[in-house]
Amino acid sequence: MEKRLDVSMLEPCEPLERTLEAVQQLSSGDFLHVMHRREPHLLYPLLEKSGFVWHCVEERSDQYAIYIWRESDQVAGKEATSHFSK
Amino acid sequence: MLNTASLSLDQAPPISIPFRFFLTAPLFGLVAGLLLLVYGPTLFLTRWAPMTLGLTHLITLGMLAMVMCGALLQMLPVLAGSPVPAVVMVGRLCHLLITVGAGLLVSSFITGSGIANALSLSLLGAGVFLFFIAVAVALLRVKQVTHTVTAMRLAVIAFLFTLVLGLLLGSGVLSKVGFGHIAPLVDVHLGWGVLGWIGLLLIGISYQVVPMFQVTPEYPMLMRRFLAPVLFMALVVWTLLMLAAIFSLIGDFIPTLWMFLVLPGFMLYAVVTLRLQQQRKRRIPDITMKFWRIGMFSILFSSAVWIIGNVSTVVANSPQYHLLLGVGLIAGAGVSVVNGMLYKIVPFLSWFHLQNRQLSLMCMTVQVPNMKEFISDKAARYQYNVYVASLFLLFAAVTKPEWFAHMAGLVFLLSNIMLFRNLVIAMSRYYTTNQALLSYAVDSDK
Repeated sequence: MEKRLDVSMLEPCEPLERTLEAVQQLSSGDFLHVMHRREPHLLYPLLEKSGFVWHCVEERSDQYAIYIWRESDQVAGKEATSHFSK
Repeated sequence: MLNTASLSLDQAPPISIPFRFFLTAPLFGLVAGLLLLVYGPTLFLTRWAPMTLGLTHLITLGMLAMVMCGALLQMLPVLAGSPVPAVVMVGRLCHLLITVGAGLLVSSFITGSGIANALSLSLLGAGVFLFFIAVAVALLRVKQVTHTVTAMRLAVIAFLFTLVLGLLLGSGVLSKVGFGHIAPLVDVHLGWGVLGWIGLLLIGISYQVVPMFQVTPEYPMLMRRFLAPVLFMALVVWTLLMLAAIFSLIGDFIPTLWMFLVLPGFMLYAVVTLRLQQQRKRRIPDITMKFWRIGMFSILFSSAVWIIGNVSTVVANSPQYHLLLGVGLIAGAGVSVVNGMLYKIVPFLSWFHLQNRQLSLMCMTVQVPNMKEFISDKAARYQYNVYVASLFLLFAAVTKPEWFAHMAGLVFLLSNIMLFRNLVIAMSRYYTTNQALLSYAVDSDK
């Protein structure tokens, strides 16, 4: 199931903090859809270290959608993939 | 834009490298305040007084260049995706050479010691040259050349020009080879230092940090693409015109006329930055933004002073004119922005390094403080208020040195003590949490 988090109006490092908090609360089958005004490159190594995978879609130059799910959660991965592949 | 390729803290230097630069800066500020407090009005007689030159270098080298060098060594992997080679060794050596060199330079200005002068020029020459080579290698290796990277490249070239001119002036070589007019060359040294090194780096860094940290719209694309390269080329042309004027090939007024074309570029940058700050998406009070706003207004104020000084000979001939420009550009613009940035860089680096370590260890029992917990808003606000008071007193001291110079020194000293204290608190929070994480790692290995 999709969980949405809008961090586009927050200043660093709140987007990172909130995203890291939110991914820890994902239940089995859930993926996180983060809305951000910039591509959060600093988030990626932190996600990888915590066992998450991510996919970023640039919707506009100031609007990015980042999909995050647990590496071990195949259901969430499939659902996230179908979401951003639309 | 941040570089995606293998972005990781593994490429960045240990946090102790930038921290040593950042902690040294307020100490130089403290010495500058002390100098003003003790010698007061004598520092405001003329820009050419050795002690005034000493005070200027305490701030430009000891505070501004110190923070800018530390920040570049740390931020290049993050902002440009390109680490500085041998960064630990380069960072330690540059810090040592620039710190000791700047200290000796200032003491040579004050005491007139020839040995201190020769030693300071050698140390500063070695420190800045080493910094230039290391950073130039990193900047040349950048794969994705953004507008910020272009501005950084031009700024470090400007830093090298500033150094070379400074070394030539300081060693007295120029007068030996027949340069009668040293004063215009000091202006060229100052131009490359203030407008080139500080100005271009500020412009380039702004493209990243203003939209990111102050949550504003992006700078206009045309400005990002052209402003820094055009200003750099304009400074090159200005330097050639100055040289031509020195050798009486053209009139003295021509480089000045040319500068009238360069200045609007910096004014445009300040106006656009203020406009972007007005369009902030999230209007919550932010200390860094307040420091930056003072910096931007100081750029506009100094530009206005320069224009008036070049229109009116009465103003131009007054010794206060150059001092007012110096206070406006170096303290008003330079120190304000650098002081403000420290309140973002230090908490951000501390938080990010700890977060990275926490996740590497998968240690959720040790709480990492959030960014605002490293330096409290209240402490930063107090320091901001004291800093603003010191700036007003510095401006007042230009017109009435005997009334305000000592007081300006005292308040500037206080401002730097408060800044130093705030940074020490942030760094000690970092080390305490880091120690807890390391203890966790040791315990879990047993």
